[in-house]
Amino acid sequence: MNLPIAVVLAIFLPFFFAILVPYLERIVKHNIGWFSALIGLISFLLLVLISPEIIRGEVIHYSVSWIPSVGVDFGIYVDGLSLLIAFLASGIGFLIMAYSTEYMSHREDLARYYQYILLFMGSMIGMVFASNTIQLFIFWELTSITSFLLIGFWRNKPQSVYGAKKSLILTAGFGGLALLTGILLLRAITGTFDIPTILADESLKVLIKEHDLFLGTLFLIFIGAAAKSAQGPFYIWLPNAMEAPTPVSAFLHSATMVKAGLYLIGRVHPIFSGTEAWLIMVAGTGLVTMVVAGFLALRQTDIKGLLAYSTISQLAYIMAMYGYTTYQDPSLGVVAATYHLLNHATFKATLFLIVGIVAHEAATRDIKKLGGLRKEMPITFVIATIGALSMAGVPPLNGFLSKEMFYEASVDIGASLGQPYNLLIPMIAVIAGVLTFAYSIKIIDGIFLGKRNDEHLPKKVHDPSIIMLGPAAILAFIVVLFGIFPSIPMSFIIEPAVSGIILEDISIYASLWHGFTVELLMTVVTFGLGIIIYKKYDAIANWQDEFNKKHPTFSLNYYYDEIFGNATENAKKISLKFQVGPIRAYLFPIVLIAILSVLFPIIILSVELTPITFNFETPPYELIVFILIITTAVMAAIIPSYLPAVIAVSALGFLIGIVFIFLLAPDLAITQILAETLTTIIFVLVISKVPQTFKEKIPRNILYRDILISLTVASTVFLIMLYATQGIIEPFESVSHYFLEKSILLTGGHNIVNVILVDFRSLDTLGEIVVIFLAALGVYNLLHSRGERK
Amino acid sequence: MTTLITQTIAKVVVPLCVFLSISLLLTGHDQPGGGFIGGVMFATAISLLYISFGLDDSKKFFNPDWSLYFGFGLLLATAAGIGSIIAGYNLLRTDYTYLQLPLFGEVELSSAIVFDIGVYLVVIGGLLFIFKKMGED
Repeated sequence: MNLPIAVVLAIFLPFFFAILVPYLERIVKHNIGWFSALIGLISFLLLVLISPEIIRGEVIHYSVSWIPSVGVDFGIYVDGLSLLIAFLASGIGFLIMAYSTEYMSHREDLARYYQYILLFMGSMIGMVFASNTIQLFIFWELTSITSFLLIGFWRNKPQSVYGAKKSLILTAGFGGLALLTGILLLRAITGTFDIPTILADESLKVLIKEHDLFLGTLFLIFIGAAAKSAQGPFYIWLPNAMEAPTPVSAFLHSATMVKAGLYLIGRVHPIFSGTEAWLIMVAGTGLVTMVVAGFLALRQTDIKGLLAYSTISQLAYIMAMYGYTTYQDPSLGVVAATYHLLNHATFKATLFLIVGIVAHEAATRDIKKLGGLRKEMPITFVIATIGALSMAGVPPLNGFLSKEMFYEASVDIGASLGQPYNLLIPMIAVIAGVLTFAYSIKIIDGIFLGKRNDEHLPKKVHDPSIIMLGPAAILAFIVVLFGIFPSIPMSFIIEPAVSGIILEDISIYASLWHGFTVELLMTVVTFGLGIIIYKKYDAIANWQDEFNKKHPTFSLNYYYDEIFGNATENAKKISLKFQVGPIRAYLFPIVLIAILSVLFPIIILSVELTPITFNFETPPYELIVFILIITTAVMAAIIPSYLPAVIAVSALGFLIGIVFIFLLAPDLAITQILAETLTTIIFVLVISKVPQTFKEKIPRNILYRDILISLTVASTVFLIMLYATQGIIEPFESVSHYFLEKSILLTGGHNIVNVILVDFRSLDTLGEIVVIFLAALGVYNLLHSRGERK
Repeated sequence: MTTLITQTIAKVVVPLCVFLSISLLLTGHDQPGGGFIGGVMFATAISLLYISFGLDDSKKFFNPDWSLYFGFGLLLATAAGIGSIIAGYNLLRTDYTYLQLPLFGEVELSSAIVFDIGVYLVVIGGLLFIFKKMGED
């Protein structure tokens, strides 16, 4: 099979099938999950098909022109890094959907559930394979939107809605828009949206690093990545995202979507790395986040909440290691980071699936209500232990290896930075490791060990069926396999991925036992301290609770709620200052700005105003019309009752129609007269509903003010017209010549007004009829909603 | 205003206005007129009908859903624009030809008429929809 076609199929098959899901669901009912899982499997196999090419060190690059005028192509760019994430998305996607067939009750809206998951899977695969930054951005936002839909899957739970909104605002809104701006800045520097072009061109990379916009570009793209991967201050969305169904949390919010930010960091690594700013932003954010999130994890009583904080902390490891490369042999940190990325996806997804099983069987996720389930759920217990110990970094599991490599990289960067970092950074790393160890043990101890919590647990709890255990067992098996035989993932997955990040071919040697090293010592210290911390676990958690009660404002969530939670209230406060009610209040600023916008240019440009020559040589019949116009205008203003005033206004309109006839503009004249007729009728209809027939009494001072405003407007317009028609203000070249020449030639029409409307400027006309359309709907809504309020 | 005089006049004038409106629409490319003017003409004629016979009475024998008109009109205008793309040109690009018709002689036929009919329908639908809703209110 043609390889680009396989890639395109892997991206669009989920999208295509997602459209079919609701129809298929009517036929196969609740078995729809298996069909969806099949699509995940097919995507995975398609990727397996192309992997030999990538392992050999090739890349697949193929693009078609999409919006050529701005240089946006639709292309695919497959290298080791993107393939790694795509493998996670399709492989874990398959396992999750299989697991969901049992987890999700048949009463749920399954079609919607699998539709969202498939859409997410397609978006994620599409995002990593995008060869164009605009295309990447589109798929990036699609993953945020599908994540939003999945977090809010249970629509009538207020917490779900809250969590969904929060994730959308922070990832798609804040992060996504920052990323888009960053992409546009990158384009402004390099002149291209094409990722492979930038990656391949050394001179472009030098140009970017020396450019004035470098810092801004890096910052904005980093904000996008950090928001997506819940790093730094953006972490607050991830714990609330746990309101999603647990398989979704396992899939999106531990294994794949939150890795998108790390993918982006890896993708732009060749462009931005090697600079101070990169080290400070990426590694700095990572180091702070890993400790803070690890610490906050201790307080969580909901296991999913605990896992969410642990995810934030673990992603921060990876972030930090990608940042180290400025003062380090890139292969050291990047290999460790990429390996940890893979490992984290496996052990964290395992743990989430276990939490799903426990919640499904024991009907609670509260760690205080669980306990002592090891005898009733032996298989679940074993799998959970593997996952948790791997996270804690216990040999011989894969988490141990990547944690060792993390320590090694941290010691190395500390050494190259010198005092005081040679102690500080390894210390931070060990603290993060200790915290990880403590909460990992808590998961095992809290659920499975100790005394059975009969008070809160159902009478009988047992292992679930093979459908739910299978996916978790497969992932746990991978955890063990990759730990004991690290050369398997290294040579098939990590080497190609790393060469995609640092753009060099490397070969990595890794083994479980690598001698007595500093890292090993640090690991031993970690375990020792971890056990001590675990003894104080409850005390620390209580202290955090107390602290939160005492200082409720010392929390990012507090500020988030103040700003976004009260957004409607805040908006109301602001808009009430502008939307005051009476029309006169709106008219005043509009008129004022209109006058100023005309007068200012004249004053600023200091146009020399030559004397005006008045010309009253008009035929007498025209003069009569003009006098009538003035008369009706004055009458409309001074007549004290409504109906005659309206008639005066419409008489004025008809007279202007006659002026158009004098000016030989029949189209304008007809339109004017017809429109005037209609508005008069509508006016009369409305006026007849108004109870009083006399205008309200206007206070004297307001009257004078209004007269002043009217006179100013009138005289300004009068002056402008006078100068414009006499050519004293330099006129622009009239556009009518062009239309007169081209009209018959291009369109065959002789009536230029109509030709402009339907040919030359037809897009404008389309816009105008859309306005009519919306106005009609608006009027309907206004009248309708008023009727309802009665 | 539902007097015998207005009703009698309306019976004569409204059909004439409708014919005039259609002729304005069709000849608009060459002579004064076009979809917009034709549409307003049509709307004025119908509003005369509504006024002279009263909204409730006229509804008994003539009660179209004007929202269909502006919905369909917008669809038609958009389709005319997209049609040009399908034919391989830019959005809303038009073409024209000359036809020899008996009685009329040489007549210019432009593809813009499709778009113009769309405008015509939107204007009719929009204006009369608003008019009728306000009248009902």
